[in-house]
Amino acid sequence: MRRTVQALRNMTVHPTASANAKIAVAGFRHFFPTADGPMQATDRVDLTIRAGEFVTLVGPSGCGKTTLLKALAGFIKPSEGTILCDGAPVRGPGRERGVVFQELAILPWRTVRRNIGHGLEIARVSRSERDRTVTRLIELTGLAGFEDRYPHELSGGMRQRVAVARTWAADPEIILMDEPFAAVDAMTRLTLQEELARLCAATKKTVFFITHSVDEAVFLGDRVLVMTRHPGRIKAVIEVPGRAAGRDWESFKADAGMQAITEQVLRLVREERGAAAASAAAVGEAHA
Amino acid sequence: MSAANALSERAGFRHQPALAAVRRLGGLKILLPFAALIAAWWAIHASADFSPQVLVSPLAVWRAFVHLVAYGVMAEYASTSLRMIGVATVLSLMVGVPIGFAVGVNRYAAHALEGFLRFLQGISGIAWLPLAIIWFGFTHATTLVIVIYTLIVPIIFNTMIGVRAIPPTYALALRSLGASPLRLVTDVYLPGALPSIVVGLRLGMGYGWRALIAAEMLVRRGGLGDLIFGARTFGQIDRIIAGMIVIGCLYVVIDRLIVQPIENLTIARWGVLRA
Repeated sequence: MRRTVQALRNMTVHPTASANAKIAVAGFRHFFPTADGPMQATDRVDLTIRAGEFVTLVGPSGCGKTTLLKALAGFIKPSEGTILCDGAPVRGPGRERGVVFQELAILPWRTVRRNIGHGLEIARVSRSERDRTVTRLIELTGLAGFEDRYPHELSGGMRQRVAVARTWAADPEIILMDEPFAAVDAMTRLTLQEELARLCAATKKTVFFITHSVDEAVFLGDRVLVMTRHPGRIKAVIEVPGRAAGRDWESFKADAGMQAITEQVLRLVREERGAAAASAAAVGEAHA
Repeated sequence: MSAANALSERAGFRHQPALAAVRRLGGLKILLPFAALIAAWWAIHASADFSPQVLVSPLAVWRAFVHLVAYGVMAEYASTSLRMIGVATVLSLMVGVPIGFAVGVNRYAAHALEGFLRFLQGISGIAWLPLAIIWFGFTHATTLVIVIYTLIVPIIFNTMIGVRAIPPTYALALRSLGASPLRLVTDVYLPGALPSIVVGLRLGMGYGWRALIAAEMLVRRGGLGDLIFGARTFGQIDRIIAGMIVIGCLYVVIDRLIVQPIENLTIARWGVLRA
């Protein structure tokens, strides 16, 4: 009953949550059980993502970004609110929603080729077709020559390429990425971001990408969502116009328009950091 | 050493399988302590006039060994022991790995059983012998029960640890690729726990081999334990020592030439990324 009411309310708040919404989140609140009772992770998140859109989400650490992604992936059941994917509620993980994790998630006992083809193997795709897809993705992600290596023989950047390629190979409609490049060195990260931009331009996936880097969010996103500090909700939505086929860092840095957007997002994120620091100070004073 | 030298040495080893086996055990240096022990033994034996009921020379032991081999006695007793440890290992894996899995994937069961398994580890297989003999008599069944009991606890324990050490992300990633629960077992949990299962197997076979010899001494239905305990009744020191040496050698062969290569193989592919 309450859900229905909330859903109705969200309809009025978000009239854009229409038929072409690939993902629609309404009134998502989540609580984790802890020793001191339930801990609130997010506070009424509403968002819609259109098909083929690349949406990035930035926010201070611990604001509930990953909780939102886990709910979209179907790893957790929302405490409150609805999460619709193609109009149907999300019930558990599914192959139409691929996930790229921050930490190592490829299997150390499988070679690069067998890791990338794993989703196709599960879907019982024929060997010849699997080989074709895997070879294409190995080319696209610059892993040629490393097909038969094991993950421990690869650098961190290469392992993340394998993880990205594995998700793409399974051909999901939606790809959820949780700070996939955070654990990679800065130089490699720039390359991976450019490669991802190219890959997305070539494959037209709907992507939801979490990061704590403002640069990364603006560079990759069609839209950047800014989340408030914990417990998080969507604070602002910034459109990034003209995500061209091949975005690269050099022209991105030289583009005054892009830099202005980056500044704007940075200000929004900083406010949250500042607010968090201020409230922490207030708590400190209260205790003193 | 020049490259040519190294090459000819390697070629030499290829022509001499016995030497190649020694090299796989860790090179000739591992034979040094054995040589020292035999030399000391010989010196002590030569220094005084020992009765053959107390101590015999290494040569006498060698003769007894040759005699036992020549008459097929050694082969019969050794094969009984090897068959026992083999059957016990297979049965322990078949039962222990699924139990370890069930406990490993269930956090509650893992916490509940951890203390109990440690408790069982404290009660050695030998301590079960009186009960086992009462229940199963002086039979192979008694020996088998003791050895399986000894083997299975480290296998269950290490399987459980192996399953719990697998990063949860592996399973989440696979579920997002559409994997069924069965698929998670075959593609994530089994290969992920394998290195740890092999460690448990190796520990278990070490404990199991010792328990086997002890059980054979009491059950007296064949096996190397029976051989050396039987030799005691007739004061055949040479046979006792020959049997002991074979017990030690067979364990080294099982451990270093069979189990350890399996362990190395899994570590070569798996281990490095665990950190």
